Amino acid sequence: MNNQRAECCLPEQVRKTSIDKTLGNLIPASILNYLIALAAIFSLNFILPRLMPGDPLHAIYGDEALVAMTDEMEAELIRQFSLDKSWWDQLLAYVLGLLRGDLGFSYYYHEQVSQVIMGALPWTLLLTGLALILATAIGLVLGIESGFRRGSTLDRSLVAGLMFLGGFPDFFIGILLLLIFAVSLDVLPISGASTPYAGYTGLTYIFDILRHLALPLASMILVQLGSIFLLTRNTILTIREESFILTARAKGCSEHQIKYAHAGRNSLLPLTTATGMRIPNLITGALFIEIVFSYPGVGSLLNIAISARDYPLIQGILLIVTLTVLSANFLVDLLYTRLDPRVRHAH
Amino acid sequence: MHTDPLGEISRDPLAKIGLFMLVIITLLAICAPLLSNYSPHDYTGKIFSPPDMDHLLGTDSMGQDIWARLLYAARTSLLVAGAVALISSTLSVVIGATAALAGGIYERFCMRVVDAMTSLPTIIVMILVAAYLRPSLLLLILLISAFSWPGGARIIRSQVLSLKERVHISAARTFGAGKKYIIFTHIVPELSPIISALMMQDARRAVFMEAGLAFLGVSDPMVISWGKMMHQALAFTYLDVWQWWLVPTGLALSATLISISFLSFSLETAIDPRMKKENARSG
Repeated sequence: MNNQRAECCLPEQVRKTSIDKTLGNLIPASILNYLIALAAIFSLNFILPRLMPGDPLHAIYGDEALVAMTDEMEAELIRQFSLDKSWWDQLLAYVLGLLRGDLGFSYYYHEQVSQVIMGALPWTLLLTGLALILATAIGLVLGIESGFRRGSTLDRSLVAGLMFLGGFPDFFIGILLLLIFAVSLDVLPISGASTPYAGYTGLTYIFDILRHLALPLASMILVQLGSIFLLTRNTILTIREESFILTARAKGCSEHQIKYAHAGRNSLLPLTTATGMRIPNLITGALFIEIVFSYPGVGSLLNIAISARDYPLIQGILLIVTLTVLSANFLVDLLYTRLDPRVRHAH
Repeated sequence: MHTDPLGEISRDPLAKIGLFMLVIITLLAICAPLLSNYSPHDYTGKIFSPPDMDHLLGTDSMGQDIWARLLYAARTSLLVAGAVALISSTLSVVIGATAALAGGIYERFCMRVVDAMTSLPTIIVMILVAAYLRPSLLLLILLISAFSWPGGARIIRSQVLSLKERVHISAARTFGAGKKYIIFTHIVPELSPIISALMMQDARRAVFMEAGLAFLGVSDPMVISWGKMMHQALAFTYLDVWQWWLVPTGLALSATLISISFLSFSLETAIDPRMKKENARSG
């Protein structure tokens, strides 16, 4: 797996050997963290329902579900979870189920939890991914420009405005955009990811999806922009008087090159680290935004699961979101070594 | 770090605005019974009535006075903020400082736990635990604290690690100062500005988390909360009622968050000498 990943990122032989070494050093530490985090979630999902007083089946499925359950279903579930056996057997049954990709059965949707979540996950990933890329791009450009023009009107108004914006909770920014553009002005759709039963195809379908994506995406970008901007600006402020900038200027590099190729590339590094740390927040933020706009992603699913007390679904969502967060973190770690030649050649 | 962060921030306009807003919100919360004619749990019988002199912000879908609920919800937010800030920063300091001072396997273990916890989507973990244990205000406070300390512990540890190596501490050690003496007379006072910055961050996160969880439908059924009000109000965006139900509630929550962020931003700037120099230069 190690080699495969290195191959797909880096075709050149020279780089490959160096990144292989880096990965060797990088993977044990971070993978161990990820494993601990995952183990924590697994045990939480396993232990919590079994710690509850009374019948664990009640706890796993919730009282509401059991009302609808027949005796045979109950017997079948008890057998499936090995609830009549020792804790050790229960753990074994649980782990084996997970390995088969079995996250349990959602009684609310009458479907496997894994399938319910997989239906919603692409929408969340689309929203989060696009928001992350766009917010980083916009924040980076604004931060660089503002940092090089420190004290100017542009700089001051950007700092004040974005800090003010950053104070708002993400779901309220979403609500405000919803109220302005969808309720008052009525120019953008109020909910969903596409117009139902419209039967659009091709370009009209894509346009329809983009129209529905616009507001949730804009709110997510607005929420993130502040911290990206401030971080970039602060990095620029600390490096803009360093000697390599002076050298670049002396060499006759254009101002644009200095800003983006020299200062910009360096400010990407702390930004990447910060992005890695922000990923859990980013994804939970997306869940809130989805609820505001009834966007059919994992967030809306979570909302339904909470109000229907569909415990297996909540557990499944927790597991899948954790997996998503950890793999995104892993990608950020990889990206960091790609961005910073010093890390790549350090080992 | 021989500076005076408190004196520093008292001259910062950002901190003044933040403090002013926070004081106003606190006063409103404390004087809630004096400022509204209704109890937040009263049913007035009129639903969705627009704002008038009797109901400053009208009534909601249950016929309850929105203004009264808004005021009482501030109490919940501030209570959660204060309690979480205390519990969580205490945990951060105890775990971070002991890890740095003890070292060895204990330190490695603590830092692994911190790393693992910071990479979890904590809100969903809280939802799951709260859903199983039936949410109450105390449980929410404990839960939010239990998931807020790791970031702070990491900062405290790195601070203590660097403090431990300072000249004046090794000088004190040379003069025969005991571990306890060094911790309480040299390390803790130096940490206090950082601890207060941590408490600000914890308080802000707590207000946000409480509102967010309530917005998702995870809250103590007896407690009035801005998040819960927004959750209820969001279902009625097709009526005009959002103008005096949804928007004021969101603004109240945002004002609380913004006031705390201003204070904490200004405090952090005062603590970080590099940022301070930058600020001084820009005049």
